[in-house]
Amino acid sequence: MSGALDATFRSASARIVGALAACYHDLDLAEEAFAEACARAAQAWQSAIPERPDGWLYIVAGRYALDLIRKRRVRDSLRAEEPEIEPSADEMMLDDSHLIPDERLRLIFVCCHPAIAPDARAALTLRTVCGLDTGEIAHAFLTSEAALAQRLVRAKRKIAEAGVPFEIPGPNLWAERLDAVLSTLEVAYSKAHEDAAGTGPHSAYAAEILNLSQTLAELLPEEPDVLALAALVRFCEARRPARTDAAGSMIPLSEQDPAKWDRVLIRAGDAYLKRAFELQASGARLLQTGIHAAWCRRQNLDEPPPWPKVLALYDSLVAIADNPITRLNRIVALAEIHGYDTALEEVDRLHSAALEGFLPFRAVRADLLRKAGRTAEARADYDAALTLQPAPAESAWLMRQRNEMQQ
Amino acid sequence: MNYALLIYENESAYGSEKNNPALQEIVEKHMSFSQELGPKRLGGAGLAGTYVATTVRTTNGTKSVHDGPFAETKEQLGGFYLIEAADLDEAIDIAKRVPLQPDGAIEIRPLLGG
Repeated sequence: MSGALDATFRSASARIVGALAACYHDLDLAEEAFAEACARAAQAWQSAIPERPDGWLYIVAGRYALDLIRKRRVRDSLRAEEPEIEPSADEMMLDDSHLIPDERLRLIFVCCHPAIAPDARAALTLRTVCGLDTGEIAHAFLTSEAALAQRLVRAKRKIAEAGVPFEIPGPNLWAERLDAVLSTLEVAYSKAHEDAAGTGPHSAYAAEILNLSQTLAELLPEEPDVLALAALVRFCEARRPARTDAAGSMIPLSEQDPAKWDRVLIRAGDAYLKRAFELQASGARLLQTGIHAAWCRRQNLDEPPPWPKVLALYDSLVAIADNPITRLNRIVALAEIHGYDTALEEVDRLHSAALEGFLPFRAVRADLLRKAGRTAEARADYDAALTLQPAPAESAWLMRQRNEMQQ
Repeated sequence: MNYALLIYENESAYGSEKNNPALQEIVEKHMSFSQELGPKRLGGAGLAGTYVATTVRTTNGTKSVHDGPFAETKEQLGGFYLIEAADLDEAIDIAKRVPLQPDGAIEIRPLLGG
């Protein structure tokens, strides 16, 4: 029973906390009222969960919130009688979709407002929109629960006291604010994706980002970047089962067995991306996702990797969003088509002080040097990469590549 | 001449709650100081703590929004007075009387055109 209750509470959390927060412009109040409703439900539902638990929770949380506000106003004066808080049979007749306003989008914009500290945005979104508790989020962010709780308190206080609007931004702010939302989800997802083995603390968290990106795509079905992000997360998650070998070592994308990829997720990703390209011909997020889509089209290891397509997409991407990381990824594809020596020339042109201690740079350079037969130099770069604290799966892979080279 | 008196103090002394006794005490002092200044006080305000600050920064012409104050310093801008004084000496005299913690600073800046 308690498992079923927890699941009910979690799935109801976003809608109800969102609706109450939007109504009272107070995240703390909304959360407190929802927690109280859950506590009362745990008592009231001992024999059976009602037919429409969300409606019950919403009505109870709403009344409790009002009661809290009233008590705050008359604090220290005589205690009024407790009002009847549980819903009547009549009230339970209303359909949930009419009863509970869907304010999740407003809530996402509030949580990802650029005036909120970047390291708090994703945590706050997961807390209020996905209903994760602080322990779970702390686990996902590899931080202590106390530190995370404090970060959330600070962020909620900022929202309440600085006057962050509980509104969906208007057209003049739309692009900037939507970008803040999408970057928040991207950063949060990249944290989940770093863990190649998929068994670490981030794996369940990736599922939440999968849900959140879908929710956002349902709420904003006409925004190409939103659809591209939903697709990107699906393509990456689809490949998770093939990302490591039995020994826990990372397998690079071109060597992963496509038979192990999740075709259901890939089809869902394809549908989102197709729609995104119908709405907009190009764009950095669309091209980036297009590269993942190209890989996911591969059916088995006998089929050649889609390097020409990948290189063409990186060429387009560099033309509109040039940065060293995109260039580095482009070089990986370039090497497979124009050869390792050409690629190494480009890598060394890219070389700058900023990339010196950047793990992907060292790893890519080491790999190219190894393939070009420049063993001694390759070994030096592998050693440099290994000092940059790669995740265990990547570390195992780098170590193996290094040791397999002829002395 | 018109001057701004900018009050810099370590805001942590006031805690984060509105009913903090240290905060209530200084607010009362400011209220009576304002009365004392009479028509010499043209305006002014206390500011909420930097935990609630937001900064819009421009870098190479590009604007971006950040959580937090312009600079993390030991002492923060916590409020200001706009005053009218005959000259800097009178402004300094007034600045010395602005309620302050045992450690802190008042920066006196003439208003442009005033």
